[in-house]
Parts: sequence; structure tokens; C-alpha cells
Amino acid sequence: MSGSEATTREVTLTWRDGRRETVRATEAQTILEAAEARAVGLPFGCRTGACATCTGRVADGRVTHDREPRALKPRHLERGYVLCCIARPRTDCRIEVGADVRTAMVSNPWK
Amino acid sequence: MATEDRHGHSHHEHAHHEHGVEGPGYATPQAAIEESTPEKLAYVAALYTGTDVDASDFVAVVDVDPGSPTYREIVDRIEMPTRGDELHHFGWNACSSSCHVEGLERQYLVIPGNRSSRIHVVDTSDRRHPELVKVIEPEEVHEQDLSGPHTVHCAPGREIMISMLGNADGELPGGFLVLDDDFEIEGRWDAPGEIEFNYDFWYQPRRDVMVSSEWAAPATYQPGFDLEDVEAGKYGHSLHFWNWGDRTVEQTIDLGEEGMIPLEVRFMHNPEVAHGYVNAALSSNIFHFWREDGEYHAEKVIDFEGRDLEGWDMPVPALPTDILLSMDDRYLFGANWLHGEVWMYDVSDPANPRESDSISIGGYFGEIQAVQDRELISGPQMIQLSLDGKRLYWTTSLYSTWDDQFFPEEGERGSVMLKADVDPRRGTMTLDEEFLVDFGNLPDGPARAHEIRWPDGDCTSDVWQ
Repeated sequence: MSGSEATTREVTLTWRDGRRETVRATEAQTILEAAEARAVGLPFGCRTGACATCTGRVADGRVTHDREPRALKPRHLERGYVLCCIARPRTDCRIEVGADVRTAMVSNPWK
Repeated sequence: MATEDRHGHSHHEHAHHEHGVEGPGYATPQAAIEESTPEKLAYVAALYTGTDVDASDFVAVVDVDPGSPTYREIVDRIEMPTRGDELHHFGWNACSSSCHVEGLERQYLVIPGNRSSRIHVVDTSDRRHPELVKVIEPEEVHEQDLSGPHTVHCAPGREIMISMLGNADGELPGGFLVLDDDFEIEGRWDAPGEIEFNYDFWYQPRRDVMVSSEWAAPATYQPGFDLEDVEAGKYGHSLHFWNWGDRTVEQTIDLGEEGMIPLEVRFMHNPEVAHGYVNAALSSNIFHFWREDGEYHAEKVIDFEGRDLEGWDMPVPALPTDILLSMDDRYLFGANWLHGEVWMYDVSDPANPRESDSISIGGYFGEIQAVQDRELISGPQMIQLSLDGKRLYWTTSLYSTWDDQFFPEEGERGSVMLKADVDPRRGTMTLDEEFLVDFGNLPDGPARAHEIRWPDGDCTSDVWQ
């Protein structure tokens, strides 16, 4: 591979209802931006890594954050959660997305 | 005593000025009660942020005129240009505190996105069909090292002030952003570092005081509520009393263990009176604060006990998430979101609130769990009262991520807007079972409904000089 092809990654997005979309992310794109470029709607909020609205979970592949993912705690990072607004794929990868992912990350503390 | 604010307005002269002809507001709280006509429209924040519905948040224009053929319907929607805002609290460009300013009208709603930090300006000249006229993008807000816009108040002198809960990274400290009357960012109101936590605020220009409360950094509360964060000291429990003219904190009152997460701060509307209330949401208490002997004091005056729920590890706190004072300052209303209760207390004696009435509805324990066969899948949350004190309305969403934890069906089925008829003379409330606005059956999908505002002023936004 050469030129720009070498720097794009194939990102497969999966939802818990079974939906699946594959988008290509260039080096310049976060997962959220790559999805937006293909008109695939993902939840998002602050776009700076503070609010967790865009939380996804890596099922396969490697992803790095541009900056500290402030909305995620160490225990979330250990379990593979990523913030799609500030995360870039470093390999082809498969990421679970959708509002359910963030919802499942936190629980009712009194229950 | 005549004192001058930084705009040179003499407060003493102002108090005796002829009002009621020019300007955006009412001369006094009593004039607001007597001269206002019943609300015909409500502006209600409605959200899709944090769901898989691929649509922007919007402000719903709700017909609340019983004589209208479209009564109880959403008659227009002002859609935000970008998804992901989490519209939360919003406010007017002008209120009764601006009544000396020529040419100013209560015309523009300033509507921030709490997650996005984007600030929208909506022109409501056509009350039934308002129009988005300006957007301040998040980058401009971040340049001030601020994020997480919350409460919007107009300030004397055409300015608009917004409490900001975090710095540009969504961490502490928060601060205050000032917009000019063209809705351009003027800068920060405060010197960074005066406070760490921020949330709501209310000012009383005649006393040259502003009070602010504390939630948490956006990076803490936005992902959801985590008790570990409480234990780690990441949630606030203090009130700050500011010198309004000097823009500095003169006094901080630590409310302690019983004052965790003090949210809505309400000074009494009468500008002569130095009393107010704040709801400590997490510790389920209402504090009274007042000025005496040259300083402010705060004391817990209402305590809501936790209740056991089968299958839960700990007693469920009431979570009183919103309070307001009636325009005549006689009643304090509030909503206990988790327990499911709308309550009113007589605060004629401000230090000794007396329970007047309540409605047990929605939430985990409410006696009424459906209205017009619409199941209530969340508790009462943001409340708004008519200026004459006779109609109390409420919605049921708190914040998308917190809804998902405590009332997960709220996102799937959407909010409702409900109403009670209030008899201020007898101090009673009656649920109006004819009134229901269902945000669950909208074209794009179910929406969460949050703050309610009236075109001609609110019990939660109007301030008098």
C-alpha cells in the first residue's frame, strides 16, 4: 500500500440492536469524524473528551486518544471504553457504539 | 440609603421611579402578579442528546392557553443547528432588572448547550414562531477557558451573564461568561480562581450581592453520577456570596454533609428582602440563607427523609432537584425527583417553612403513576409557576445521563409536561388531569423535556433593582 491508502483504517461500527456500518478513517479523522463523513450518526456532546456522550467500546483493534479522555476513569479504560470524539484508530478495528454503551458504563448507585 | 452600581444607576432613585411604561419588565413583583395576563405559551427545552435519535435538541413552543384550539400541543419547534448540545437551562436577554434601559425588550432567549458549550440566541418577537438568530460556537467559549454553560441571567446594563461549570477542558475551576447586547462574548465576569465549583446564581442589585451554588466539573457530572466522586470530594457543598459590583467572593458558607450538591439558588423577589433558599439535592435538604449582622447565614429548614425500596441496597434519597419562590415570596415550591413529589411550603416566616401541600406523582414512590393513561416513567423535575401563582407546571427529565441511571425509560419513552392548579389563598394544589403534553410521540422520536419559560417573565428569572 502507498500514499493516503496506507494511512486509512477500516472501522466497523456495531450497535447492540445488530446494526453494523463500516467507515474508513484517515489519519486526520477521529472515529466520530469518520462516521460523520459517511453520514453515520453517533451520539456526541462536548467533542473534547469531557462528557462521555460518544462512549464506544473497542471489540477488536487498537485505538488511541488524542488527549486525556477526562470522562473515562481508569476502570473504564481497562474495560476497553473509548471516546469516539477524541479517539483515532491505529489499526483496522471494530467498535461497539450507540447510546446503550455509555448507559451500561454507569449504574444506579443506590440499587 | 442610596447606593450606586457600576453602571451609575442609583438604586434608591430607581425604587421610586415611574415604571410600567418603558422597558421589558414589571415595576415590582406585585405588579408582575397584578398586571400579567395568564401565560399562553411555554418555551420548553427538549432533548435528543445522548440517544440514538439522529436529531438536534430543540425548544418546544407549547400552547398553554385553555381557550386555544391547539391547547396542550407543541405548536412550533426551534431546532438547534447542531446535535449534541444538551439544552438545559436558558434565560432572557432582559428582565425587570433592566427596566431603565431604553429600547430593550424581553425578546431574546439565550439558550446554551451544557455539553457542547454552544450558545444559541432565539428571537421571540413572534411569540408563537420564534427564530434562531445567532450561534456562538464552542471554540469562542473555550477561548475564555470556560465550558459547561448553565444559568443565564440578564444583568443591569444590557449584559447577559452565564454561569460556566468548567474550564475549557471540562475540569475545574468554573466561572462566569459575559455577553454584550449584541450577544458577542465580552469576556469573563470573574477573575479565575475566585471559585472552583459553579452551578446556579441569583443577584440582588439593590443589595449589591450575588449568590452562586455548586454542582461539579463537567467531566465529573456529565458521564453520570458516581458515588465514588462524592467520596473523592468532586461534588460541591458550598454557597458563595459575591460583591456584585467588585465581582469578588465576600463570603463562602460551607453547608457541610447536609448540604451536598446545592443547586438552585432563589433570592426572594422583593429586592428589599435578604432571604433566599437553596436545595441541597444529594442530601435532600432545603437551606434558608439570610443576611444578619453584616453577613450571610445558612440553616437547614426542610429535610426529606430517605425511603426504603425493595431490592435496593440503600434508602433512596428524595433528590429535590428544583425549587422556586412564588412571585409574592409566600410559597416555596419544589420537586423531589426520585421520590416523586411536588411540594409547596408556606414561607411567610422565611426561617420556618410550613408544609402547605404536596402531590405524590411519578418517581419511585408516587401514588399517581399515570395521567390520561400515560404511564409516568420518571419523577417531577423542573418546575415553573405562573406569575399569578395559580398554575404550577413541571417536566420530568433531569439530565440525559442521570435520567439513564435513575429512570432509564425516560430516554426510551420521552418526558411529559404536567400541571397543577394552585390555590394560593388556601395553600393547596390539585393535579389538572386534563393537562398533559407528551414529548414521547414526536416525529423524530421521544424527547426529554427540561426547563420551562414564559414569554413574559418567570418566577425563576425575574430580578428587580
